[in-house]
Amino acid sequence: MGAARGRGVGGVGGGPEAEAPEVAEVAAGAEAAGAAGMAKSRGENGPRAPAAEGSLSGTRESLTPGSDAAAADELSSLGSDSEANGFAERRIDKFGFIVGSQGAEGALEEIPLEVLRQRESKWLDMLNNWDKWMAKKHKKIRLRCQKGIPPSLRGRAWQYLSGGKVKLQQNPGKFDELDMSPGDPKWLDVIERDLHRQFPFHEMFVSRGGHGQQDLFRVLKAYTLYRPEEGYCQAQAPIAAVLLMHMPAEQAFWCLVQICEKYLPGYYSEKLEAIQLDGEILFSLLQKVSPVAHKHLSRQKIDPLLYMTEWFMCAFARTLPWSSVLRVWDMFFCEGVKIIFRVGLVLLKHALGSPEKLKACQGQYETIEQLRSLSPKIMQEAFLVQEVVELPVTERQIEREHLIQLRRWQETRGELQCCSLPRLHGAKAILEAEPGPRPTLQPSPSIRLPPDAPLPGSKGKPKTPKQSQKEKEQWEQAKASGQLDKLPTPSQAKGAAAAGDACPPQDVLPRDAAHQDPALQDSASQDPAHHRSQDSVHHCSQESLTSQESEDTYL
Amino acid sequence: MGNRTEEDYNFVFKVVLIGESGVGKTNLLSRFTRNEFSHDSRTTIGVEFSTRTVMLGTAAIKAQIWDTAGLERYRAITSAYYRGAVGALLVFDLTKHQTYAVVERWLKELYDHAEATIVVMLVGNKSDLHQAREVPTEEARMFAENNGLLFLETSALDSTNVELAFETVLKEIFTKVSKQRQNSTRTNAIALGSAQAGQEPGAGQKRACCISL
Repeated sequence: MGAARGRGVGGVGGGPEAEAPEVAEVAAGAEAAGAAGMAKSRGENGPRAPAAEGSLSGTRESLTPGSDAAAADELSSLGSDSEANGFAERRIDKFGFIVGSQGAEGALEEIPLEVLRQRESKWLDMLNNWDKWMAKKHKKIRLRCQKGIPPSLRGRAWQYLSGGKVKLQQNPGKFDELDMSPGDPKWLDVIERDLHRQFPFHEMFVSRGGHGQQDLFRVLKAYTLYRPEEGYCQAQAPIAAVLLMHMPAEQAFWCLVQICEKYLPGYYSEKLEAIQLDGEILFSLLQKVSPVAHKHLSRQKIDPLLYMTEWFMCAFARTLPWSSVLRVWDMFFCEGVKIIFRVGLVLLKHALGSPEKLKACQGQYETIEQLRSLSPKIMQEAFLVQEVVELPVTERQIEREHLIQLRRWQETRGELQCCSLPRLHGAKAILEAEPGPRPTLQPSPSIRLPPDAPLPGSKGKPKTPKQSQKEKEQWEQAKASGQLDKLPTPSQAKGAAAAGDACPPQDVLPRDAAHQDPALQDSASQDPAHHRSQDSVHHCSQESLTSQESEDTYL
Repeated sequence: MGNRTEEDYNFVFKVVLIGESGVGKTNLLSRFTRNEFSHDSRTTIGVEFSTRTVMLGTAAIKAQIWDTAGLERYRAITSAYYRGAVGALLVFDLTKHQTYAVVERWLKELYDHAEATIVVMLVGNKSDLHQAREVPTEEARMFAENNGLLFLETSALDSTNVELAFETVLKEIFTKVSKQRQNSTRTNAIALGSAQAGQEPGAGQKRACCISL
């Protein structure tokens, strides 16, 4: 290396006389006033100070090699561009990732439009009658989750599946309260350092101090206030980011709560005991799934934490191609952590499960490297989902193994420090664990109309002003006394087709200037279904539950 | 330091990067092994590593650099991380005094998990941010001296001292290893440690060995 790079030993390096980059620190002190804290942005516009021997190979390590200099240049100033002028020249894939970056995928298989529309219509029906579907046709829900939730409804479906929606209804105003409180500076400091480090190539998070990063901050901060004894764990940031790609901050917050408390309890707590236990469980389960892989990892003495930590803590959001991430999360929200285990086992089996594959893995390092650069074939959506669905690893096996590993832990390391509640294996378990009475899930309207306005296509008469006033009062009362579940369930208004969301009139509240009700705001604004208002009439569910609809082997 | 092809090396030295979240460990890694830097490199969760093979004299050394999350609670899962490490770069951000104030805690953590003979360098990173400095060079240098640590200030952003930092640590490790070899040759014994036994590969043999000191 010699002279060109020599900077003199010890002490401050006499670096090349580059232009000193400015450090723009955005004041983060607005919390008390209720504004979301801004990310500290280091507005360094000249990151690539020339080194002695010429241009460096690039600032964006995950750009595909060979991207031309212009693109690299443009992208290198990404962080300091405002959202407004950033995107004209960048191409974004359908998930929001900048084309050419790590998250962006090549050509994807597209589902035929009619199929998509039919799936959407079925999902809408399920969402509008969620409790009934969960009670009587849960297997169908599971099947549909395995097939993939239509993108337009994914955000909503995740909220229903996870119980986040119920949580939100049970805690009106809570998020706002947390949002407006000043956080613990110790956590805020760490969170701020992470805001620009989650999916930086996704359009939502690319801009420092942009809305995406702001919302990420709000959600993570709220959690540290909601569970101060838990605080912040870095893996929560990618989880929250994925949620925010699909729903607004408040909804994302409650889904995060559910993940941290119901699906993966203890994962993000101090001591990280849960993840260690799951590493051992994973390794144990591997023995049956792929004895070859298991033997190899044993012999190489490779601790599961060396490969499964990021997989599990981020629910594969940082590992798989994006279309696969979404499919895995669809199943995960429905069926719980066993999906995570199955994905891990499938990856291990296909990466290390045969002598030919092991040829490249002579040592510990090479093996882990192999697990970090998985073949795209095994991560591809269709292949992976098929393998996961077919892998016969059950909740019971996981729980049994959990007990075994727990006992082993207690024998070798003493008692667990953090006692997390037992985890719940999916949507049905979460629903059943809810202490009753629960509010019946009301579908939230995409469009809010005054109560006496006739709905398009509605066959009913508009209500009299007296009727709607009474309903409004009822609702306000019920809300104030926390007894939303006591409201009469909306009668099934046949043919009501308000913006693709079968919305019985009772649910519609007049906009009350003094009282913004976040509980009614759904992520429906992101729902392209509402553009198809008059296309189809959504029959209400009594029919669907008992109908002989031929089940969609394809759909 | 020159570069050799990846397959051809005599020794493997495992070096770990430790220090608070956000000090620049991941970028030091990418700067050294791939000559890359990113303002928005992802938060490290779990373990990352990368390698680079360098020449020290006539010996080809494969430096295996390990990187992990700096956040406090990840300390619970790092014993696997430290296993077999012969060198460590304890990194702090010289523009954030808090990251320097906890250096002693990191040292303790290091010595709790790694071999006592591990070569340690204290690294003050982000030297390019001149105006934002919060840790005086002299103060950090004194601390390093008093604790038997090497010391350098670096900038992963503009490359200052990054090569030198790793090179120095690797040289130091190599010196120790060579001494140990001399000793064992004299006593005709083979040094065994927690890693595999250190053995010089025979002529034509390309397998490397993990060294413990």
